[in-house]
Amino acid sequence: MEPIEIRFSGSGGQGLQLCAKILSLALNLENLRVAFSQSYEPTSRGGVSRSDLVVDDITPDYPLVTKLDYLVVLDQLSVGISNGLLNKDSVVLADKQLVSEPPKGEFDIHSLPFVEQAIQLGNKRVANIIALGALISIGNIVKFETLVEAVKAGVPPRFLDLNIDAVNTGYRMVTSPGVQLEEIKSS
Amino acid sequence: MNETEDISKNGEDTHLVSEKSARDFNIRDYLRTSLFPHFLCPGCGHGIALRALLWAIYELDIDKNNLVIVSGIGCSGRTGAYIDANTFHTTHGRPLAFATGLALARPDLKVIVITGDGDCLAIGGNHLIHASRRNLDITCMMLNNEVYGMTGGQASPTTSETRYTTTSPSGSIEPVFDACRLAEAAGAGFVGRDVTLQMPRLKNLLRDAIQYRGFSFVEVISDCTEIFGRKNDLGESPEMILSQKSAMRPSSYGNVVDEPFRPNTLKTGILARNDRPEYGATYRAHAETIQAKGK
Amino acid sequence: MASKYQLVNLQGNHACALGAVAAGCRFFAGYPITPSSEIAERMALELPRIGGVFIQMEDEIASMGAVLGASMGGLKSMTATSGPGFSLKQEHLGYGAGAEIPCVIANVMRGGPSTGMPTRPSQGDIMQSRWGTHGDHATIVLAPASVKEVFDETRRAFALSEKFRVPVIVLYDEVIGHLVETIELPKPEECEQVERKWADSDKKTFKPYAETDDLVPPMARPGDGYRVHTTGLTHAEDGFPTQDPETVVRVTQRILGKLEKHADEIASYEEVDCKDADTVIVAIGISARAANQAIRQARKKGGKVGLFRPITLWPFPEKPFKQAVQKAKTVIVPEMNAGQLALEIERLCQSEQIVERLNRIDGEALEPGEILQKIGEAQ
Repeated sequence: MEPIEIRFSGSGGQGLQLCAKILSLALNLENLRVAFSQSYEPTSRGGVSRSDLVVDDITPDYPLVTKLDYLVVLDQLSVGISNGLLNKDSVVLADKQLVSEPPKGEFDIHSLPFVEQAIQLGNKRVANIIALGALISIGNIVKFETLVEAVKAGVPPRFLDLNIDAVNTGYRMVTSPGVQLEEIKSS
Repeated sequence: MNETEDISKNGEDTHLVSEKSARDFNIRDYLRTSLFPHFLCPGCGHGIALRALLWAIYELDIDKNNLVIVSGIGCSGRTGAYIDANTFHTTHGRPLAFATGLALARPDLKVIVITGDGDCLAIGGNHLIHASRRNLDITCMMLNNEVYGMTGGQASPTTSETRYTTTSPSGSIEPVFDACRLAEAAGAGFVGRDVTLQMPRLKNLLRDAIQYRGFSFVEVISDCTEIFGRKNDLGESPEMILSQKSAMRPSSYGNVVDEPFRPNTLKTGILARNDRPEYGATYRAHAETIQAKGK
Repeated sequence: MASKYQLVNLQGNHACALGAVAAGCRFFAGYPITPSSEIAERMALELPRIGGVFIQMEDEIASMGAVLGASMGGLKSMTATSGPGFSLKQEHLGYGAGAEIPCVIANVMRGGPSTGMPTRPSQGDIMQSRWGTHGDHATIVLAPASVKEVFDETRRAFALSEKFRVPVIVLYDEVIGHLVETIELPKPEECEQVERKWADSDKKTFKPYAETDDLVPPMARPGDGYRVHTTGLTHAEDGFPTQDPETVVRVTQRILGKLEKHADEIASYEEVDCKDADTVIVAIGISARAANQAIRQARKKGGKVGLFRPITLWPFPEKPFKQAVQKAKTVIVPEMNAGQLALEIERLCQSEQIVERLNRIDGEALEPGEILQKIGEAQ
């Protein structure tokens, strides 16, 4: 297969690393391999943050992103770091509220209310998981069922229900052709 | 000081109760005589300290095969090679770092460090602080002759003020270190000091130090007759040792001598002895708990 | 998964720690430093569980000293560090080389000199890893380029170190250190462990540094009854210091010669498409990963391009390299420094071969595109 390059970007503390981790788990469940890298600075809160995945069925030649297939942006702060990595085949998902000026270009851009929906679910911090659900709905990177399985394995048990709600919310937020919408319960 | 001992308890009296007779102690049983003649200058106090150490080892019946002498660089460091044991002559200032790794890796071995004032207090000062803090089962004998002898007589952290050395040509103006106070403050479980005048007394101090389970630090006031003594017109070895003796106060002397930066008021005897946990045992117990949880 | 391996997403630095444990490492002494701290953190977790010793020492120098002390005591021992700490460890690395004490040092490269760029990748320690400590000395440096390879090469580092009584450095850049990759991880019990050759001959006549056929003398372990002397001073076969010129030459040549004698066993490299290549790229670490993609793209366009990747960086695998570049007109050396590996390549290439340098010193990883462009310029 051709490697797929995915970036989650935003500001520190938005749970981008968790997003990448859960998606990695889901990819592994479908026998795919990842190379995962992230911004590495001494601070863990605030500031530009990114988590990158290069997906392949073998260990990829080059493990860092060079041209993004998917970009998820959760904070205006991080828009600039992906300049030059987007092309006409890229798909961008940006938070409607926090990203006022999403990247401009010939690519598909989806401005979606991740944070708003998260607040409605009762916890702003699951915006990342909502975005992940939306990404899978648009991108067909892994099966939704696999993603749910990975969410179950990747989040602390006491937050499981909330995260399952979040991933469902994200998945239903967008509809793409050929995707069956189906609610999956955490039980 | 948690526990100060009367000089009589740590003095000439105690060696008489030793089960092993002094007459049966043959220092040659503990030396690599094939290396003789040794390199120490005539009158050097290090030889006396070495004899006292080996005598203590003899009295404690320590198997030479399980004895590791770890030494640093300098005249003190070179004395280790003459001991018929496992001898690790390491790098300048770092014997305590090597000894820490060794003692943790091999708790079955008896680890004794021989170091000097420059080795232990200048380049290796940090390791003394942390070895004291950990209280790992190591005995550290620091031979303090106030000078870097091996490199030709430069000033050390214990060179007394006004003394001449090749790097203090008009007399030293730096304050000196009180190594024992440093070691005690950093947590060493056993701290002692003595001069070389009465070897049995020094032997007893070293024996107590080796027996202590934890980090024991013994400062031996040694004399460098050939370089330091001559440069400062201090006479021959006997004169130097006698003047060292008269400059010291027994540990029971009281607070009058509690002056860390005044070398002529240093105390002798056991200066600290307490029951802090030995780090190696603590580590192993901790690891066992982790292993038990994992099962 | 039915495979005997477990498929895991593992970070490079954690792979280093797990590789060490699988190789039988039971002693780690370290000091916190970016970007290698995860190795120490993982060791702090793993070693107490399996009866090993982890200790955080007071400084970098002490860590290396403790590693040597523990190894002299008989445990497979390692430390991990990065630039500034690697500089501080150099004297003890020299002790390990001179007194022939097995030990493994992981050096995760960050921008330098001095404090430099602690969180940014670099490949600036290529020469330091070979010549960092003073004096002529034998040392082995392994340069893994993926998470799996960090695991494997750390294991090999212990094998080589124990077998040849030499410090072995595992050298990789921050990108590889922090990269997480999906790998097949063998179970520790399936990993072969290489043991040091311990002295077992007559105790009275034993000479700790006597010349043996393989040039690697067996080591005497304290407690086994040999009571030998170990020193950083130049020493004769009996272990005691000497300055006798003839003896000094003899014993030094043995130590330097032991790696030459086993050069084929120590050498390791990867060669991709070099057979017909008129352009060969030589690179390590993340630069080699970028080169890998670049040559694949160049080949698609019909370019005759190959990659030679030294996995054993030092001693440099000279013979295989010369073989690989036989047909090459141009050798490109992409590296994240101002030109270090290029010096060795320039030394090894024929006078009619062109050595092109490609350097990045901005704290960013080299990218396939840059290398591809350089290939285009060369052809």
